[in-house]
Amino acid sequence: MSLAARHLEANGIPTVIMACAKDIVEFAGVPRFLFSDFPLGNSCGKPKDVASQDLTLELALGLLESATGPRTTMQSPLRWKDDASWKLDFSNIEKMSPEEIARRRAEFDRQKAIAKGIRESGAKAAD
Amino acid sequence: MDENKQDGLGFAAEYDRPIPYMQRIRDYYVTLGYGTPYRWANYADVPFTKPTKPLSESRVALITTAAPYQPDKGDQGPGAAYNAGAKFYTVYSGDTAAEHDLRISHIGYDRLHTTAEDSNTWFPLPALRRAAAKGRIGEIAPRFHGAPTNRSHVTTLDVDCPELLARCRADNVDAAILVPS
Repeated sequence: MSLAARHLEANGIPTVIMACAKDIVEFAGVPRFLFSDFPLGNSCGKPKDVASQDLTLELALGLLESATGPRTTMQSPLRWKDDASWKLDFSNIEKMSPEEIARRRAEFDRQKAIAKGIRESGAKAAD
Repeated sequence: MDENKQDGLGFAAEYDRPIPYMQRIRDYYVTLGYGTPYRWANYADVPFTKPTKPLSESRVALITTAAPYQPDKGDQGPGAAYNAGAKFYTVYSGDTAAEHDLRISHIGYDRLHTTAEDSNTWFPLPALRRAAAKGRIGEIAPRFHGAPTNRSHVTTLDVDCPELLARCRADNVDAAILVPS
């Protein structure tokens, strides 16, 4: 998605990205980025919280208006929770048992095979 | 309990910072036995285009990585396990005047701390409508666009990005909001 923002921007369309993965988006290098420090999946605000969704969109729109140069990141002032310990969990290998790692390895192989099957059937359909 | 606050400095907890996803994911796959690390895109130069008209007169496009719900493609949530079967591999578009059921079960969102129960957290079309209704933006572009995930960078750059640009141009958009999930 960062690549799409860059491409639109380079071709004259101003963009703003709304996202939760700060390091990945900033590493790519994008024009404007509204960062919400929330679990992935909540780029546009909190679930069942219209006020937070409106505020998040407003911050993104504000960036479209106010940014004066590329790599402009703004962090939403909203907090997911007062307790930030949720940030320790995502894909944190240090918190997984050997059994959990083995289970995830098997699941990863399974999903990869499914995705490969879809890509190949799509390629055949396009032929 | 935040130990640092006990020091009287008012610092947040040491881990209370944006999650270092690249490091986490790299370590995760190396431990699972997939040694070749994913190469995230990065660029030294970043383009920038100043808006030419006020937002209140602008036509704004919405671009998403979410996928239309496909009843025959397994559990797509809320709370569904990762579902690669729900992926899509070409750009699609939808009518912004219509209602849509878009899901993110094909994306690696945080399944421990959120459940994907409210599509407004990844597809802000209703919020954008509210912004348009009160004149904050001029109007919503007639179509939103779906950007494929799990593509090679080459495919994204050579196929998907030009396609998204062509569709935005066809709709005469003045600005775009992009939401990866």
